[in-house]
Amino acid sequence: MKLKKVLSPETVWVDLKSDSKQGIIEEMVDRLFLAGKIENRDTILQVVLDREAKMSTGMENGVAIPHGKSDAVESLVAAVGLNKAGVDFNAMDGRPCTIFIMTVSPAKRAGPHIQFLAEVSRLISQPAKREQLLAARTHLDIYTILTGK
Amino acid sequence: MQQEAAHTVTQVAQQAGEAVAHAAASSGHSITHMMMQLVLQLAVIIVCAKVGGYLFQRFLNMPSVLGELASGMLIGPYALGGLIDIPNIGILFVESHSFAVTPELYGIATLASIILLFLAGLETDLAAFLRYSVVGSFVGMGGLLAAFVMGDLCAVLWPGNGIDSFMDPAALFLGVISVATSVGITARILAEKRKMASPEGVTILAGAVFDDVFGIITLAIVMGMAKVSMGKGVAWGPICIIAVKAIGFFVVVTALGLIFSRKITALIKRFKSKEIIVALCFGLALLLASLAEMAGLAMIIGAYIMGLALSRTDLAHEIEHHLEGVYNILVPIFFCVMGMMVDFGAMKPVLIFGSVYSLLAVFSKVVGCGIPAWLMKFNLRGSLRIGLGMLPRGEVALIVAGIGLAGGIIDQGIFGVAIMMTVVTTMLAPPLLVKSFEGGSGLRKEMEGSSTNIESIELEFPSRDITEFLLNRFVNALQQEEFFVHHLHTDQPTFHVLKDDIDFTLIEEGNKLIINVPSVNQHVARMILLEELLSLSDLLESTKQMKSVDEMGSDLMSGLFA
Repeated sequence: MKLKKVLSPETVWVDLKSDSKQGIIEEMVDRLFLAGKIENRDTILQVVLDREAKMSTGMENGVAIPHGKSDAVESLVAAVGLNKAGVDFNAMDGRPCTIFIMTVSPAKRAGPHIQFLAEVSRLISQPAKREQLLAARTHLDIYTILTGK
Repeated sequence: MQQEAAHTVTQVAQQAGEAVAHAAASSGHSITHMMMQLVLQLAVIIVCAKVGGYLFQRFLNMPSVLGELASGMLIGPYALGGLIDIPNIGILFVESHSFAVTPELYGIATLASIILLFLAGLETDLAAFLRYSVVGSFVGMGGLLAAFVMGDLCAVLWPGNGIDSFMDPAALFLGVISVATSVGITARILAEKRKMASPEGVTILAGAVFDDVFGIITLAIVMGMAKVSMGKGVAWGPICIIAVKAIGFFVVVTALGLIFSRKITALIKRFKSKEIIVALCFGLALLLASLAEMAGLAMIIGAYIMGLALSRTDLAHEIEHHLEGVYNILVPIFFCVMGMMVDFGAMKPVLIFGSVYSLLAVFSKVVGCGIPAWLMKFNLRGSLRIGLGMLPRGEVALIVAGIGLAGGIIDQGIFGVAIMMTVVTTMLAPPLLVKSFEGGSGLRKEMEGSSTNIESIELEFPSRDITEFLLNRFVNALQQEEFFVHHLHTDQPTFHVLKDDIDFTLIEEGNKLIINVPSVNQHVARMILLEELLSLSDLLESTKQMKSVDEMGSDLMSGLFA
């Protein structure tokens, strides 16, 4: 699956500023709204928070994958952000998270939605990729590392 | 469902009976008498086939097909059936016009073979066919060529059987009979041994799809050739025309079928009733079967093409589901009738030939599929596994042999040889395949780095119901993610999941859900499953909002005993 079909240079951010789980999710949803990728900011924020309430999406080695499903989006919307200082995300290994991958997919339309999340996760499950990402200086660096372009 | 099936069987029997009304007149019996005889024969066949199939599966741990065949051999006119004399009716099973079974009984077996191939076509995964085209085509083609050439040459080189040319119709038939792999048995073993997602497993399944399609095309050509070469000498001109015609018929009709199948089904769907829709699709399969025969090919080819064309429509599942009952009753009749046609007397002189032919059939598939596998990325162990996986022959071999016998192209002895080969390969494959999967990787050392390590993810639930429920949700979720999910007809509920280069299996084993997935693809399997697990907890949460079960129960029952 080609990541660049879903990711765009406007939805990768090297400089997430919030220092809490709720803050990171809100900030990413806001930035998606500003980039024109979503229209209904509040609905999207709610579905991501709802999913987070069921089980934290903080994984291991500093990776978190907040996501949700809503018919407020027509097709898969995805974003990747970094907060190099680290944020407590109730991760499985208890360590702070630095790399955040967010997806919002349409609830009723079929498509490779979770598969996208899985592909990005697979990519950054390689320690070398994570190091590369955390060394990124610009938004475009992230895009290049993830899509290979 | 069973009623429907029984109804159809009765109808078929009646129609077959009507078709031979003139035969009844000439034999001196009334039609009613003939039909009574047919119904009695069918009763014996169905009971013996089903019980035989069950016994083989239950006590010998062998495919039920072998039990059905064995039942047929036992009750056929050349064994017990020829000895049982029923008052007012006569011998239970007796040769008719020097053919093992009566035309009406053979008619029902033919109908069964059409259903068998129609469903085989429906179940063909065209998307996988295209996706695995490289690996599948080499393995499938290798096995096909080796089996065909060795089968044919075995007949030509064997002294004293009167076959002296590669193009002799009987030789061509012995070639084509040994071609078609029946992968169902292999699939069951791979699923049980959790090897479906292994590189060997995927290669075998891909090879088998090619083997099916190419096997049918080869049969089409050979049918045509056999008809032309019935005369003296080899007429290459007409043979070329026949070959072009056969391939042309297959390609053109399949292409037309695929292009128009959605339009045709849209038209058929206007009838709304599922029963009518399924019956009309089956009618179309019969129509194409007869057209194929008219075009000088075989009826099963037309049925297979119709199945293939419909396999990509949303009706495929409905048709399979509705024909299941008819299939379960008619197909054992087919295998049993094929067993009945084995004349042990005629087989005596060809017993050694049959053994050699059967061994060559084993050897040709192992070598023919193994060499392409070895040339690609497998070591000797892996290549052997693939060759053995492609070993079992089954229904198509029997159908082709039946067509050859009915058409007078092969004799009783050669027919027996074909059955012998089918039985030998089907019996040998399971133990050999299980044994071959012992030991390490089947990939070559230099490929192992890129090879797939299979992760086995196991989740245990408090009850089988919950496991099944979650499995169904997982399958739906995978389909929502645009994965192809195929239910394999195995003892344990098993699903084969495919998409691009992702390939894994799901098995429901008692209270456990087992996912065998290559490590590189485990992220997607785990994440989709996690979402379904979480939705399960949502569901459990929502049941708490229901009225108490006691309260609902008393609402339900109150007043019943007032």
